[in-house]
Amino acid sequence: MSYISNLMHNRPAIKPGLWILIVLTAAVLLVIPPLSSLTTITLLSRIFILAIFGMSYDILRGYTGIINLGHALFFGGGTYLAGIMFSRMGPTLDVLLLAVAITLAFSAVIAYIMGQFAFRGTGFIGVIACAMITLAFGEIARHTAETLREYTQGADGLTFRVPVIFQDRVMMYYYAFLFMIIMTLILRRFVNSPTGRVMQAIRDNEQRAKFLGYDTKKYKLIALIVAGMASSLAGIMFALLTRFANTELLTVQNTLNALLYTIVGGTGTLYGAIIGTAFVQLAQNYLLELRGIHEIFSRWLLFFGAIYVLVVLYLPKGFVGAYLQFQAKRQSRKKPA
Amino acid sequence: MHIFIMLLINGLAEGALIFLMAAGLSIILGLLGVVNFTHGTLFIWGGYVSIWIFGLTGSFIIALVAAIVAGFAMGLIFERLFVRPVYGNVTAQILITLGLMIVFTDLVRLLWGPNPIPASRPEFMDGTWVIDSVIISQYRIFLIIVGILVAIAINYIVNKTRVGMVMRAGTQSPDMVQALGINIKVYFSGVFAGGAALAALGGALYVPLVGSVWSGMGINNQILAFIVVILGGMGSYYGSAVGSIIIGLTVAMVSWFYPPLTVYATVLLLLLVLTLRPQGLFGLAVRN
Amino acid sequence: MEPLLKLDNVSSFIGPFHILQGVSLVVYPGEAVVVLGRNGAGKTTTLRTIIGLIPASDGQIILDDVNISKMPPYKAVRQGIGFIPEDYGIFDFLSVEENLLVAMWQEDKASLDRRDYILDLFPDLKVSYKRLASTLSGGQRQMLSIGRALVNDIKIILIDEPSKGLAPIIVEKVRDVLLDFKEDKTIVLVEQNFEMACAVGDRFYIINEGRTVLDGAVEELYKDKELQKKHLGFVTA
Repeated sequence: MSYISNLMHNRPAIKPGLWILIVLTAAVLLVIPPLSSLTTITLLSRIFILAIFGMSYDILRGYTGIINLGHALFFGGGTYLAGIMFSRMGPTLDVLLLAVAITLAFSAVIAYIMGQFAFRGTGFIGVIACAMITLAFGEIARHTAETLREYTQGADGLTFRVPVIFQDRVMMYYYAFLFMIIMTLILRRFVNSPTGRVMQAIRDNEQRAKFLGYDTKKYKLIALIVAGMASSLAGIMFALLTRFANTELLTVQNTLNALLYTIVGGTGTLYGAIIGTAFVQLAQNYLLELRGIHEIFSRWLLFFGAIYVLVVLYLPKGFVGAYLQFQAKRQSRKKPA
Repeated sequence: MHIFIMLLINGLAEGALIFLMAAGLSIILGLLGVVNFTHGTLFIWGGYVSIWIFGLTGSFIIALVAAIVAGFAMGLIFERLFVRPVYGNVTAQILITLGLMIVFTDLVRLLWGPNPIPASRPEFMDGTWVIDSVIISQYRIFLIIVGILVAIAINYIVNKTRVGMVMRAGTQSPDMVQALGINIKVYFSGVFAGGAALAALGGALYVPLVGSVWSGMGINNQILAFIVVILGGMGSYYGSAVGSIIIGLTVAMVSWFYPPLTVYATVLLLLLVLTLRPQGLFGLAVRN
Repeated sequence: MEPLLKLDNVSSFIGPFHILQGVSLVVYPGEAVVVLGRNGAGKTTTLRTIIGLIPASDGQIILDDVNISKMPPYKAVRQGIGFIPEDYGIFDFLSVEENLLVAMWQEDKASLDRRDYILDLFPDLKVSYKRLASTLSGGQRQMLSIGRALVNDIKIILIDEPSKGLAPIIVEKVRDVLLDFKEDKTIVLVEQNFEMACAVGDRFYIINEGRTVLDGAVEELYKDKELQKKHLGFVTA
């Protein structure tokens, strides 16, 4: 059997224990809203939405081995496109549908163009060129948002109204949760599809995938387009939640947010992004509360960067990865091979 | 015609600054195989340290030296603690240097505040010359001279010294260099720190040109430097020099006619070159 | 007599692969030891492990009473090793002169004298002295690689397949240089070319699957066709 078909038959089995955990979490989430403050509910909504942003990055880094430093342009692009359309055409559901359609088309086209240039090389040089070129694309998007003041309000940020059904915090919480569940299922299907298997083969060894006859650039493009679309949808949801867009959303910093979510949780696991997002968001929130104790705690970026560097150095597989490794070790100790 | 002479000088001065960043990036890439995203951060630190020391001593020269020393020291620390553990792992290098970029950019905001700090040019270079009704800024001429001097110095080091021999040899095969009894890690540290010092010098020289220092100035210039590195062919300092001039002139021209288009023009230029010559203008000088 | 180089049950890994699984050998001063074995047996890895390019995970490597098993490559080499890899390891972006200079541990008179001796030994190198090494032919590269190892005052030379891919006349030249070198120095030679091995070598070791499995005098192996067939997969005419 070839390497690829091996990968295909070797689906990562989700253990029953994990399913119970998922169902339990879901149940708790449904019980939380009546019992919690609006702040908590909004924070959780943020986590649900940003988790998909993180997951979309996992498609790239975790499943295909791509470093895209301009990924924020899809997320921020979604938020901005929805925001601009709401503020220009009115906050209605029709406009939302239109925004979704336009955003998906926009991100697919941009991802295609970006990939055409970023995926030219392979190997060591390819990775570096890809990082630099995607960074340039991301900066172009940020620059554009800063320049087009008429539409985006420039550095002040764009405030807008959203359709009535999204204005209720609790309802928004459920929408965000639903969004996360649906997107997770879709993306899970995607990474387990034959296409997803080829992507993983590229991640493991691009040269080999090429020798096996796969057009690796095509599969990387597909990964980028899917990740870009998923990320831009998360951006629209973020618009509905925050009713605000600013150029921070388009910075490298925001790309690194997504990267951190997946790295902390565990790359190549999809679900890791949820855990990572929750961890990072909660940590950020907690530190902000400590601001009263010392001013240093308001410097979130310092902590963010430090966590990030430490995780990359010492926990490259993230929490989920480390847990799986621990499990595997325990298993092998139980039944010595 | 006058405009073109002025734009030429502006472009060359801009190019000289970009070159200070790009040369280090390119050489580090060539020898160590590391892409360094802290370069823009070192650029900012160079700017802030020079302003700080200038405020204390009132001497522009001491301020520049301080920036160079700070850049060198930071480069040494970065290489030792963060880059060395991940040699050979490109992805981890990118991720780690990006993390350092975030931390050290925010540290600047913590130490010097989030707002831009105004800076002036040293008096002895603040003037202009008027030659045949063309106004020439002394400071820009100074930048061009610095750029040329640095290029000559790099050229000398690479081609005429033992350090340069080891660098050229190491670019091809670090293993073989070690197998001849040379401790290449010392050279790795030195080159990384040297590149960092050049970036810091670039920042220190950039601040008087634009009249203020702020924490966002790193990323813009870093992207220009990346564009130059890809344009010139990764790992070739020679390509970096030519690429810097091309990008410098492009920036000067476009920003004269319509400043908001500058970023697009440089990236467009990059994409154009990549389409026509995927390996950059001077080919790859990096082991693949 | 004390051995100059001693490997005691040395192991090493390349990535996850356990390549050397117990290589033991001794080399006495002034002798030429040939390391034989099939492709992939671990001969080249043995040389790279001795100088530390591949770290030894287990066992000991002693050179002239100094334990070099844990030393970084540059330190191990400076104990007195000249290394000539299979692909010659010539630096293309350096001139012939620079290739020799960069290899010198000290740029003193003795080293410069040795360089002059090398240039007399290989007149080709003298002709292209100032030229970039990328312009050299395969044979000239081999000469430069050998010359580069000899610019230092070394105790032992490690040479990997010196005759591979070279024209017979150059192989002869290389053999003569090695024989000359052997008069007062020590050689470890990895060689597939059995003629070369027999011409230069005094004793042999056979490595199989990362272990030294057999050793003896080269002459005996030359006579014993059975042994050749068993361990090397070929028989001399």
